[in-house]
Amino acid sequence: MATGTDQVVGLGLVAISLIIFIYYTAWVILLPFIDSQHVIHKYFLPRAYAVTIPLAVGLLLLLFVGLFITYVMLKNQRVTKKAQ
Amino acid sequence: KCAGSGRRLSRLCLSFLSSLLSLSVVAMTKLAQWLWGLAILGSTWAALTMGALGLELPSSCQEVLWPLPAYLLVSAGCYALGTVGYRVATFHDCEDAARELQNQIQEARADLARKGLRF
Repeated sequence: MATGTDQVVGLGLVAISLIIFIYYTAWVILLPFIDSQHVIHKYFLPRAYAVTIPLAVGLLLLLFVGLFITYVMLKNQRVTKKAQ
Repeated sequence: KCAGSGRRLSRLCLSFLSSLLSLSVVAMTKLAQWLWGLAILGSTWAALTMGALGLELPSSCQEVLWPLPAYLLVSAGCYALGTVGYRVATFHDCEDAARELQNQIQEARADLARKGLRF
């Protein structure tokens, strides 16, 4: 079996993904079928955010990936320039 | 055995459809299959959300339908994250083999340094 930190990190990732999945499923799929006067609607944002928040997070992820690639490429360029 | 025959049947249908639609003798590549599947599902979703098919779906079904692509993307991401986490947590560490490998690396370095290779 994997050692200490590996297990903690792995199980943490599993827990996070489960929480996000359950909350998002309840938000998108279950909420429209629940009476609009029910108290559970207090715990969920307005429905439009169900699309805008994942979209914004996805764009942020793309931004970070692009920045990382740029950083690595610049570092490589500097290394080859120094070698010349 | 049932799953195998179901998959075979769906592959037969898909190859039949693809040969009809692509008008070529060569079988469709995986990319082309995925793109076709996405195009068909996407157009079905678009037709249903814009009401182009003229069906009168109840409002709660409409409410569930329009965020569906975002929902599928988020759940696919969650599944990927969860699988990665699970495999990290249940990875089979071989500590003896790791220690033995490190020893062999040290031996090799010492040997090569003796023979004149500079690290």
